[in-house]
Amino acid sequence: MSLSTQDTETKAGRRDVVASLFRFQSLFGLVAVFLVAVIFSPRHDGELLFLNSDNLFNVVRAVSEIGIMAVGMTFVILVGGIDLSVGAVLGLAAVGSAVLMVESDFGVAAAVVIVLVIGVVFGFLQGVASAVFGIQAFIVTLAGMQVARGLARMWSGGQGVPIAYGDGPGQAPVTFSLLGERTFNGLVPIPALIFAVVAVVAIVFLRTSAFSRHVYAIGGNEKAARLSGVPVTRVKVIVFCIAGGLAALAGIVHAGQLNQGSPNDGFGYELDAIAAVVIGGTSLMGGHGTVTGTVAGALLLGVLNNLLGLHGVDPNVQLLVKGLVIVVAAGLQRLRPTT
Amino acid sequence: MDDGVSTLVEMIGISKSYGGVRACREVDLTLRAGEVHALLGENGAGKSTLMKVLSGDVTDHTGEIRVGGRPVRFAAPVDAQRVGIAMIHQELDLVPGLSVAENIFLGREPRTRLRTVDRRAMNTITRGLLDRCGVRLDPRRPVGELRTGEQQLVTIAKALSLDAKVLIMDEPTSALSPVEVEQMFTVITELRREGAGIVYISHRMDEIGRIADRATVLRNGAVVEQFDARDLTAEKAAEAMVGRPVQAMFRTRTVEPGEEVLRVTDLVVTPRRERSGRREPDGISLNVRRGEIVGVGGLLGSGRTELLETLFGAGPPGTTRGEILFRGEPHRPRHPRRSLAAGMAFVPEDRRIAGLALDHSVLANTVLSIVDRIATAGVVPRAREAGKVREVVADLRVKLGSVTDPVGTLSGGNQQKVVFGRMLLTEPALLLLDEPTRGVDVGAKAEIYALLGRAAEQGIGVLLASSELAELVGVCDRVIVLSGGRSVRELDTRHAGEADLLAASMGEGGTAMAVETGAGAKERAPSGLRGARRRASAEHATREDGA
Repeated sequence: MSLSTQDTETKAGRRDVVASLFRFQSLFGLVAVFLVAVIFSPRHDGELLFLNSDNLFNVVRAVSEIGIMAVGMTFVILVGGIDLSVGAVLGLAAVGSAVLMVESDFGVAAAVVIVLVIGVVFGFLQGVASAVFGIQAFIVTLAGMQVARGLARMWSGGQGVPIAYGDGPGQAPVTFSLLGERTFNGLVPIPALIFAVVAVVAIVFLRTSAFSRHVYAIGGNEKAARLSGVPVTRVKVIVFCIAGGLAALAGIVHAGQLNQGSPNDGFGYELDAIAAVVIGGTSLMGGHGTVTGTVAGALLLGVLNNLLGLHGVDPNVQLLVKGLVIVVAAGLQRLRPTT
Repeated sequence: MDDGVSTLVEMIGISKSYGGVRACREVDLTLRAGEVHALLGENGAGKSTLMKVLSGDVTDHTGEIRVGGRPVRFAAPVDAQRVGIAMIHQELDLVPGLSVAENIFLGREPRTRLRTVDRRAMNTITRGLLDRCGVRLDPRRPVGELRTGEQQLVTIAKALSLDAKVLIMDEPTSALSPVEVEQMFTVITELRREGAGIVYISHRMDEIGRIADRATVLRNGAVVEQFDARDLTAEKAAEAMVGRPVQAMFRTRTVEPGEEVLRVTDLVVTPRRERSGRREPDGISLNVRRGEIVGVGGLLGSGRTELLETLFGAGPPGTTRGEILFRGEPHRPRHPRRSLAAGMAFVPEDRRIAGLALDHSVLANTVLSIVDRIATAGVVPRAREAGKVREVVADLRVKLGSVTDPVGTLSGGNQQKVVFGRMLLTEPALLLLDEPTRGVDVGAKAEIYALLGRAAEQGIGVLLASSELAELVGVCDRVIVLSGGRSVRELDTRHAGEADLLAASMGEGGTAMAVETGAGAKERAPSGLRGARRRASAEHATREDGA
């Protein structure tokens, strides 16, 4: 008797351990990948190239844009939707930032606000199409992706718009170039700082707000949510606005980092954003997931990319490895204990 | 025939544990040919697990199963089916997009010489099977268009097509109207005469008394008692199931009704788009006063659910005629959110589909309707929230491990209490309930009735739609009987009994039924009506016979 009780206790204990392992799956994955990166890092004069500050700087900078988008994507996926337009919206926003400042002589603040509004409105329209008219989010945002890309090409005349800095006409205010700088004694790239702020705000918001309860409830059981008085349509529309706005923010950061806005920017980024969310443990069915996971997922992808790049791995092989990682991460979700 | 009956199945010393929970302990069960063996027990008593073992769904059990005296070991449900054991699940496993025939032959479609699916043969055989069940359904109709009751009969037809000798029925009547229940009993009687054995799981005592030969009661995974079904009374069974005497099931009225909280006059809904299987209100008048429990009766497909959904603003979009006065004000049902804010609450029929996010926590599910009300500046105050949940758990006596457990891990009755509690937290003046005790065991049922009584005492008006006659008569003060989307009778339960209610539902005198003819009505006419109406009054069978 006592034996069997003990047995069940250890079993329950083991289940708890497994459960928490899965709960922080993406963090463990991140640590593991980081360690792998350190171990397999190429060396130069005995120094680990991966841990070189410039390299780490590159990693976080590269991750920031995808990360900001992925935070918005997390919201959409939590309600059981998807947003395929974020990459194209990033391109539109990058073009918008460049054109507004360089050609239309807008100040930084005005340009940023206008571009953010464009992103939010774009998300709003997609949200309305999907939530009010009941067209599947996949289709709506697939169409939205084309529309945003088309708008970006029209606005830019089909070419990248370089951003030169200065006070004269045809030049952008110097403040905008801060997006390519580092702060805190050159330790933290500004884009990473923006990403961190976005992520922290999102994490706190998802944990504490009544709105987030509605978000999770809709993903968990939309019909039940509606019958429980959740304003389902409104919440869904807002969620798409968040995704659109954050995609636009990522576009601004992108323009600032590259000192130009090209209509082809952000091509395929939506898939990286979705991958980050999925690796982070958010269920594509909606209702389960965290921004913490998404952040870890984005970093994991970034470290992986960087490591493969340092080794000069063929870009095609890089794609292959990335694909495998996504499948493995999603596969691990299936092993998650159900209780 | 000479020295008793042959034994179909013996289960000997069956045990099965889930993690640390022992779902079945050393259970013995025999099933004889031509017998209906009732299996009773509270939710979580081990009935379902035992039947999963028998149907090959659970395979890592201990103990032995003998079929026809020969020991068997199933590795999968297919093995059980091969020896003639078929299970009819509580959650119907049908593919909504496929036709009746396609569902019945799923995975073993008859082929033509060209190896294509032989639809003609499939449909003919299906028609034969459905005839045996006494249903007239087009085998080509998509299952998704059928009502739950009809779907249930399709699953039985499917089991018949497998030549099952042993049928396991898990609450087969929970979704059926009284007439459809009769029909199914006819099928069961027929099967029994053919020598089949039936394990019958149900919470409805009256049914068990009528069709079962023996009854086995499980509690905490073990057999506590076996009865000859003829000697079984509801009290005895309940006592054996719960392990202690049970208090009276139904309430006695204690409060005088107060002011009127709801008045509906000539409510007619024209949906923007016709949806098959729905019967929108087509002339409904009723009123509910505070402290009063008003029942909504009628056959399946008479429009009970649709009425409640319309009032709550959860129906499909359409135009509404007639007048709804709620708390003295005109009420335009538009969105559940507005109705809730106005003080109207709704407990939907199927908690799994429409009530709960099953894999979310009890806590999240319980406070869902009020999170934004109790939030300050958009932030949910944790302490206040936890307090509300504790309140519900204590008041409704929800049995749970921790409020952070997924609500899907609770038993059916406790899940229902969570939905209930969520609505009560909104402090409603009117409570709309659709089949609140479906799939809930006797103990939890009594608790839910008591809860309803308490809600009424607090001055809440209750409108309760149910297919269970005993429930309507036992719990409600008055019952509004619907037929074809109209309110046709109002019965005072102090004078009227179940028989009156059934008669009224079936359109005694045929007035309500005869009014409705036409193709649309025919499409949706519950198949169960057919037999009963023939019995009730042949000359009024205008609806089906018209086309």
